[in-house]
Amino acid sequence: MKRVRSVILIIAALITTRAFAQDGSFVASVDKNPVSVGDQLTLSFTLQNTGSGGGRNLKLPNLDNFRIMMGPSTTSNMQYINGVVSSSFTYSYVLQPKNVGKFAIGAATIEVGGKSYSTSPITVDVSGSAPQSKQQQQQQQQGASADVEAQLGENLLLRATIDRARVMQGQQVNLVYKLYTRVQIQNYNLTKAPAMTGFWSEDAEMSKQIQLSTETYNGKQFQVGMIKRSALFPTQSGTLEIGPMEITTLVTVRDKRSWDPFDVFNGNPFGRQIEYVVKSGPIRIKVDPLPPGAPTSFKGAVGKFSINAKVDKQNAKTNEPISYKVTIAGSGNIKVLESPSIEVPSDFEQYTPKVADNINRRDARISGSKTFEYILVPRYPGKKIIKAVEFSYFDLGKNEYVTLKSPQLEINVEQGAAGATPFVSSNPREDVQMLSQDIRFIKVDRPAFVKRGEFLHTNGTFIALMLLPLAGLAGTLVYTRKRQAVMSDLVGYRNRQAIKVARKGLKKAEVLLKEVSGGKDSAEKKLAFYSEVAKAMWKYLGDKLNIQQADISIDMAVSELSRRSVKPETTAALKSLLETCEMARFTPTSFSVEAMKKTYDDASKIIIELERTV
Amino acid sequence: MMLLKRLSFLLTVLVALPLYAQNSEQLYDEANQAYRQGKFSEAIKKYEQSLDSTVSGEALYNLGNACYKSGNIGKAILNYERAMKWLANDEDVRHNLQLANLMIIDRIEPVPRLFIWEWWDAINSTFTLTGITWLAYMFFVLIVGTVIVAILARSYVWRRAAFFAGTASLPLLIFSVTIFVAKLDSLQKEDSAIVTANITTVKNSPDMNSTDAFVLHSGIKVSIIDKINTWCKIRLADGKVGWMEQTAAEII
Repeated sequence: MKRVRSVILIIAALITTRAFAQDGSFVASVDKNPVSVGDQLTLSFTLQNTGSGGGRNLKLPNLDNFRIMMGPSTTSNMQYINGVVSSSFTYSYVLQPKNVGKFAIGAATIEVGGKSYSTSPITVDVSGSAPQSKQQQQQQQQGASADVEAQLGENLLLRATIDRARVMQGQQVNLVYKLYTRVQIQNYNLTKAPAMTGFWSEDAEMSKQIQLSTETYNGKQFQVGMIKRSALFPTQSGTLEIGPMEITTLVTVRDKRSWDPFDVFNGNPFGRQIEYVVKSGPIRIKVDPLPPGAPTSFKGAVGKFSINAKVDKQNAKTNEPISYKVTIAGSGNIKVLESPSIEVPSDFEQYTPKVADNINRRDARISGSKTFEYILVPRYPGKKIIKAVEFSYFDLGKNEYVTLKSPQLEINVEQGAAGATPFVSSNPREDVQMLSQDIRFIKVDRPAFVKRGEFLHTNGTFIALMLLPLAGLAGTLVYTRKRQAVMSDLVGYRNRQAIKVARKGLKKAEVLLKEVSGGKDSAEKKLAFYSEVAKAMWKYLGDKLNIQQADISIDMAVSELSRRSVKPETTAALKSLLETCEMARFTPTSFSVEAMKKTYDDASKIIIELERTV
Repeated sequence: MMLLKRLSFLLTVLVALPLYAQNSEQLYDEANQAYRQGKFSEAIKKYEQSLDSTVSGEALYNLGNACYKSGNIGKAILNYERAMKWLANDEDVRHNLQLANLMIIDRIEPVPRLFIWEWWDAINSTFTLTGITWLAYMFFVLIVGTVIVAILARSYVWRRAAFFAGTASLPLLIFSVTIFVAKLDSLQKEDSAIVTANITTVKNSPDMNSTDAFVLHSGIKVSIIDKINTWCKIRLADGKVGWMEQTAAEII
């Protein structure tokens, strides 16, 4: 650490030697040392032989122990002596020490022409009492400045007063700052504004010239001037505190003995001027909350108000803007008034209001008006109603909430020029506007509660139902199988029955044959005989071979029989028999009784033969 | 006569399923009463009791509503999602779920999916499990019926008609059975969950000391990929993956 510091010192030394080498220097000086508290001194930083003009980046040392009264002011000087040019450039500050003690004024740095210069530190000795300055010696003034301050304290006061210490929330409180003086004040400056948390404050307009009056305070007569007047509106309840205000005055102090009130007006221009800070004391205000039961339209207005609403035109056209003004006027906390909620027809387009307030700050009570101007654009023609605007305030006089209603307004909207609005399409339909979004209501019908983990497909009855069609299918299969069995049985039956049927037919033929051979010969009888034989034979063959009667033919029967390994003689006999029968049906008379007998015998033989083989 | 008998049989089956739940129905009615009076916490308790051993989409939906009204968006979403599984394509559930999803703090852009999956989901949500079971049953009966007709019919026309009816029903049966299986699977699978904790930190590995991956707020739907002890591996709709404590979310 030490090493670092020494290195820095060496570097600083090098820089300074270089500065001297170039004949340039930067020097700090004070005009008074030692100096007393409250006295002023001039601190100068002088650049020498660095050419005309100043430098850049002047960095001041820490001057926390001094108040900077004035500065920087600059002076430049150039001399030409014996062919040598010397120049100087000075920055000067007027300082006032704050405390007693020895204070070091550190190095100031500056850059000139790319080089940096710094001053060596100087120490200022500040003593408690002002030493005899030349000025004071001239004025022959004696006594300590502490004495002066104590005396000033008695003769210069700043008082803050309020007109009431206990108010309702939102009720106006007037705060007045008055300067009480028995000395001559040259000038004053507000150096610290009072802290007013929890209030909305409105400063009253003051005339430039302070009106002075005479007041007696603590048994002394003072010149009194009102410096500041504010109207306060507490925005919260409880005990609120207004912080002190501080003003710095420039007072002309003359002879200690001449504290004569009328001396103030004598205005001795040679009097000593000193700065003196006066502070007001803090003030407490108790704020009561407003009583409960505020109407819904109450938004914090306290005082006395009236409301009015109007539109700029009663008859409007669609898409033509209408100005709708709601004005709230009265006395009270006008500034805090919020825009009232207005209800305009839903097909009006509505824009955010333009708010203008007009507050009269001159009177003791803050009054004025606040206007909310809404621009409305009607989109559809018809008679439209702008509902009354509700506005509530707390009336301090009646000590209750008052609700006012603006008049209800009616506007007749006519269809404006078509196509005036590019955004209205040819389709006049529009979406149903959702007024609010909320979840749908619960279901009220009794639902079907199902046991957890239980499903339809695992339900026993359902499984039974699943098996039902399968059972039907199985039943169908069993049924067809049985029917097939029965069908095959039918063939056997016909086979068995074939001989019986044939015999029955042949019996009829036999009866007819006997009749013919008995002498009753006739063509009809012969025809009947052959047809009976043929019928019997066909029936037999149909039954035996399981062929439908309609489908059977001679060739079919022959081929079927030969397939069933019947002797060819038998089939040939059958064929000739059937052909004979066929022929006889057309020419019955050409057949003799013998021929008939032969046919009958052949038929019997064939049947017997077939019965044996098939 | 045969048809009548079969119908009455069907009805008994339909009625037999909800018969278990006399007590649940009573609780459900009481809960509805409480809901209407604005006593939402009481309604929630009653709905939950009614859903203890039985289940019903309507009760789940109403429970979701009660949770929504009492400000528990995470639980509301959970129950709406559950109700979606039991109520087919119910517009109210869809609407409320959408509304509740708007109130979730986390904004998640879902990774776009193939349109065919969207279709599949849409078809899936058209049916309830019971409904699709009956539908599949219907096609099954139809196919077996056509087979029977084909066997018994003597005339060619009937046989042809039966053949066509059977051929048409077969793909429908396969389709409905597929959906049935998928629905049953999604109902029994525990693969997605809703974050019910107000705020939960998702870690990079299943360990309390692991680095934080991201933070989730209640109501977010996550898919569960894996589970280890008290931790589960989750994936968000936008594809982010991390480990979360199981207690922070509830399976749908």
